[in-house]
Amino acid sequence: MVRLITHNLLACHVKGCTSNNFPLQLQNVQIELRDADFNADFLKTFLPKLEWKALVESAKELGDTSLPIEQPEMLDDDFLKNLHHVLLEIHIEEGNMICPNCKHSYPISNGIPNMLLAEHEIG
Amino acid sequence: MAPPSVTSATVSANPLTYEDTHVHAIYEQIAPHFSSTRYKPWPVIAAFLSSLPTGWVGLDSGTGNGKYLPLPAENPSRVWTIGLDRSLNLLKIARNAGGVYREVVRADALDYPWRGGSFDYAISIATIHHLATHERRKQAIQRLLQAVSPSHGRILIYVWAVEQDNLSKREIPDGDDHHADEQPGKDVFVPWVLSSTSTVNDDRTAERVFNRYYHMFAKGELTQLVSDAAEEMGLHVGTKTENAGTRRGIIFKQDGWERSNYYVELHCWAS
Repeated sequence: MVRLITHNLLACHVKGCTSNNFPLQLQNVQIELRDADFNADFLKTFLPKLEWKALVESAKELGDTSLPIEQPEMLDDDFLKNLHHVLLEIHIEEGNMICPNCKHSYPISNGIPNMLLAEHEIG
Repeated sequence: MAPPSVTSATVSANPLTYEDTHVHAIYEQIAPHFSSTRYKPWPVIAAFLSSLPTGWVGLDSGTGNGKYLPLPAENPSRVWTIGLDRSLNLLKIARNAGGVYREVVRADALDYPWRGGSFDYAISIATIHHLATHERRKQAIQRLLQAVSPSHGRILIYVWAVEQDNLSKREIPDGDDHHADEQPGKDVFVPWVLSSTSTVNDDRTAERVFNRYYHMFAKGELTQLVSDAAEEMGLHVGTKTENAGTRRGIIFKQDGWERSNYYVELHCWAS
């Protein structure tokens, strides 16, 4: 599956594409919403490792605008619930992830993103 | 009937093509059967995953059927492991490992489709021994070192050993091992027997044998390979030192042999 927890870690790896290669833009996506176990401690520790701006942008591409533009200082329950939903409950089933730099397209099919490259594209 | 035995292999041609034929294509075909025999987590690996702090995110490079993605069993939502594999048919199993939706990504163990150092931990279980040259096995370790945080990253690696335990049904060829590049270990084919009831003659069972390529690691080879991989990246191998020039390094937290495999656990440090 691809949820935003994974998408926030993925970057383009085409040979020579080393800057502005993150975040991959989500296009033509089909999503499914599924409940996941809520763990506030996990979210609080993981939060600083997220690329926040990328997460907010990508959530918007999936039609979710519940996250604030800036990371809040107070981590209240409402915020953590929204973060939980955005990171772990929106599944991208089909679609494409496009590199903002080289425009390489990584397809997602049946919830599995294909990051394989052709031999000449491997760095 | 005795199971077909392990035979010597000689890596020829382009290693990529070689791995495609003797590793990737085979796992695509045997995926469901292979998966049905791989369900019990090994104790050292389960203990490693239980030892991780809450909130950590990790990479399982060569996740196969995803049997480590649901761990730690006692508190699975504490950490998130993302599974990477080359085989689409194995990933189709891994994405629901343990009956829960998992995060899986299709890529090669030598690919690096990630933001640098973004993982807290990485595991590579029974994967690096499928790479067909010493150089490529070293690169696979470098990808793991790149994937984890330089200051607190932890890595666990398992590979198949030349030294097999008594429970193993495998007969390993002694043969003289002449490696062109003078590397230790043995290159072998390990057969996988796939039975399927023929639809044409319904009373016959068709058997197909798939020979998977493995590099069996010699004693000391894995730790040496890890040290070489790390030093090539400018990392110090050993405890944190006061040396002015040394900024990053790794220590061997544990290394050993378990059930016909060698393993190492590495911890990264930065000053």
